[in-house]
Amino acid sequence: MPDSNVYNDRVVTVLVVLSLVWAIAGMAAGVFIAAELVWPTIDLGQEWLSYGRVRTLHTNGVIFGFGVSALMATAFYSVQRTCHVTLFAPRLAWFCCIAWNLVVLTGGISFLAGWTSGKEYAELEWPFDIGITIVWLAFAVVFFGTIANRKVKPIYVSNWFYGALIIVIAMLHVVNSLAIPISIDKSYSLFAGAQDAIVQWWYGHNAVGFLLTGGFLGMLYYFLPKQADRPIWSYRLSIVAFWAFTYSYIWAGPHHLHYNAIPEWVQSLGVVMSIILLAPSWATMVNGVMTVAGAWEKLKTDPALKFIVLALAFYGLATFEGPMLSIKSVNVVSHFTDWTVGHVHSGALGWNAMITFGTFYFLVPRLVGAELYSIRLANIHFWLALAGTMLYILSMWGAGVSQGLLWLSLDELGELSYGFRDIMASMAPYYALRFVAGAVFLTGAVLMFYNFIKTMENRTTVTRRIPEVKTANVVAEVAA
Amino acid sequence: MIFVPVDVLVQGSRLFPRLSEETASAGVVIAKDILPLALLPPIFLYIGSTLLGWEIGAEHAIRMSPNILFLVSLCYFSALLFGLIGLAILLRWMAPTYDASLELSRHLTLVATVATPMVVGSIAHLYPHVFVNMLSIIPVLIWSMFLLYRGLPILLQTTPQQGMLMASSLIGIVLVAAVTLLGITVVLWTHGFGPSLGL
Amino acid sequence: MSVLGIHRKLEENAGLLIFGILIVSSIGGLVQVLPSIFQDELVSPSVETQPYGALALVGRDIYIREGCSTCHSQQVRPLLAEVKRYGPFSSAGESAYDRPFLWGSKRTGPDLHRVGAKYSDAWQRVHLIDPRSVVPKSIMPAYPWLAEKPADPRNTIQTRMRRLQILGHPYTEEQIANAPERVAGKTELDAIVAYLAVLGEAAGLAEGMVH
Repeated sequence: MPDSNVYNDRVVTVLVVLSLVWAIAGMAAGVFIAAELVWPTIDLGQEWLSYGRVRTLHTNGVIFGFGVSALMATAFYSVQRTCHVTLFAPRLAWFCCIAWNLVVLTGGISFLAGWTSGKEYAELEWPFDIGITIVWLAFAVVFFGTIANRKVKPIYVSNWFYGALIIVIAMLHVVNSLAIPISIDKSYSLFAGAQDAIVQWWYGHNAVGFLLTGGFLGMLYYFLPKQADRPIWSYRLSIVAFWAFTYSYIWAGPHHLHYNAIPEWVQSLGVVMSIILLAPSWATMVNGVMTVAGAWEKLKTDPALKFIVLALAFYGLATFEGPMLSIKSVNVVSHFTDWTVGHVHSGALGWNAMITFGTFYFLVPRLVGAELYSIRLANIHFWLALAGTMLYILSMWGAGVSQGLLWLSLDELGELSYGFRDIMASMAPYYALRFVAGAVFLTGAVLMFYNFIKTMENRTTVTRRIPEVKTANVVAEVAA
Repeated sequence: MIFVPVDVLVQGSRLFPRLSEETASAGVVIAKDILPLALLPPIFLYIGSTLLGWEIGAEHAIRMSPNILFLVSLCYFSALLFGLIGLAILLRWMAPTYDASLELSRHLTLVATVATPMVVGSIAHLYPHVFVNMLSIIPVLIWSMFLLYRGLPILLQTTPQQGMLMASSLIGIVLVAAVTLLGITVVLWTHGFGPSLGL
Repeated sequence: MSVLGIHRKLEENAGLLIFGILIVSSIGGLVQVLPSIFQDELVSPSVETQPYGALALVGRDIYIREGCSTCHSQQVRPLLAEVKRYGPFSSAGESAYDRPFLWGSKRTGPDLHRVGAKYSDAWQRVHLIDPRSVVPKSIMPAYPWLAEKPADPRNTIQTRMRRLQILGHPYTEEQIANAPERVAGKTELDAIVAYLAVLGEAAGLAEGMVH
């Protein structure tokens, strides 16, 4: 019987390690497909190395392998500390950890074998969709069960975001994955054509919203004040931002379908709500910046905080660029181009990966009760991550704006100025730069991995007792 | 007298403590450091383009007449000049938040330092091919970022902690400004200014 | 009671908080997404749109398997330059039999919604096996295995058509009965080329109309 007076951190350690493994594997797959776009023959004519299949492995590996494992790890870690109780149903938490990673691993292999539903970021076929649903329910039981057992009355703000992540992703996943199976590896979507497009981007946009934005904001709201050793700057702002975010994000999906064959009002509503979304997004950024800016005396310029602060800067960029790209007169040029890819990566590399790295630099030494093996390596990682992200964004801005302009431009006679093949061939320099950018970023991640292996070597997770609650009624503080 | 761009190349980040002690007026820094930095890339571009011509999205090199090219280089120069000075003013605006120095000359010196690797990289303009210019960005950008984080707290006389926060904020603001410029450019295109688009 | 006071209630009651999140996050979906599911004109096929024939259906599933839609859109936007480049713009009705839709989000390669009218089957075969033999600077992967594999080795074509029939695709019993015969002896390459050939058919394009 597990001791209910200590935090259950072993499952957190395992999830962190698995998340790191996925980070390396997923990013390596990304660098490989980036290389394929420069040297298309390096797949050696092998099916399982083909761009169309490995690309899916890359996106799913980093989002569901790296991202969700990190979110589960940090959710389990922080929910115990903000509630002053041990995990509810620890065996179920272990089930989440192992089953989730098995689903993503077998699912990843199934992509290489050509199993795919063809819906972006929801490519896993129906057997895996069922697996995800089961694990997600278990995740919900563990998380909300822990909250139900809490010793402090108020539920801390990070838990609202993790809660929204669990609830909304469940809703999106179940609806968007509805399909009729043909065989174990193939199904037909319950929705067709334009309807399928609307449902898919309702899912796709909000998977970004509630997983990559909301979930990671949960991480920010716990680990940033923790690292800065002071409460969040404005509690009111966090309330307003949370509900505005939860309400308005859902509406923005149709901006992925501008000028496509869906009703005009759906597109326009998508734009308006996308722009409104900037307000809660930036409110959260301000809250984060002010939390650290006011407490600088207590800060150390350690790598963890550097990453988290920089993540906020890229969060600011991504949440500004998104609404901007949703405006129709910008979108008409940017849609279908590499600008979109750049935008996704300013969020994925600059925000998601950086905040996770920062959190892990904070978390790993604490989990095993040791100093970080090498601050120097962590600092080198910081430079590589920053440079890799900047280079990635620059290369894709260059590629995207060129594509958008050259595809649409007409000559004096009103004929197309450039052939598609010429424009495609002219992308080579940008794609080469993107490949280098990805490789630089990956190198940094590998250094981090090595650093953590050395930190954890011959050590086990430290057992920490749950401190007594002094007063159960305080506005949820970040507990010691 | 120190000529910042050359010293950055020779001494790297060991330069900062010494630079911090030098006090020149803002005007002097602009004339001595910023102006040459803003001048070099357009000159490289002009030379490279007149000799070779650009290859963008087409089989054949795009050659512009020397007059147009001169105009483009002039615009490039003024954009760089205003950009660099603007960046220094932005830094000064941010300075009180991070308890940094309010002397504009210090902000200008920092901008000159950070811009130096980029200007060195712009030598690639002499060979006006997208690929070469893209490759040159890689080392240059890493170098600039390093100088920014290393130099900011020393030159602007603030704590390392606040320097780190300020450098990251600056990156955020510059990226948002850059993407805003891109967005405005695209909106101008789609509203009929600039190249003719088939919308 | 102040707003903060009301919010305190939410914060202190996990059930209320879950309920609140569920309500607030569903509104957008209910108002925006749900109506489209009941809006028939979004999924009524346009006049020329036919359900995919047996071989084209198999080909479409191979197109999905290889992730073609990660680089090729099937959505010509109503813009002058796109209509000039690709052909008539896409309408909702054309996708009525597309499960899932394959509009795509990225054009690393060109849009394919009208490609059937642009290239011959022979060109497509050569191009799929070795793209660089016909487009020297192409960065598309080669798909040599398509020529070596039978199109429907597990003989599931009738199952596929029957399931689609349940979802409302108007296949006749005769079409389903003849399906195995149409797929028999064909390779995956035959199937995907058959699929590419029908792209654009619904827009009333005959071969050679788009340049």
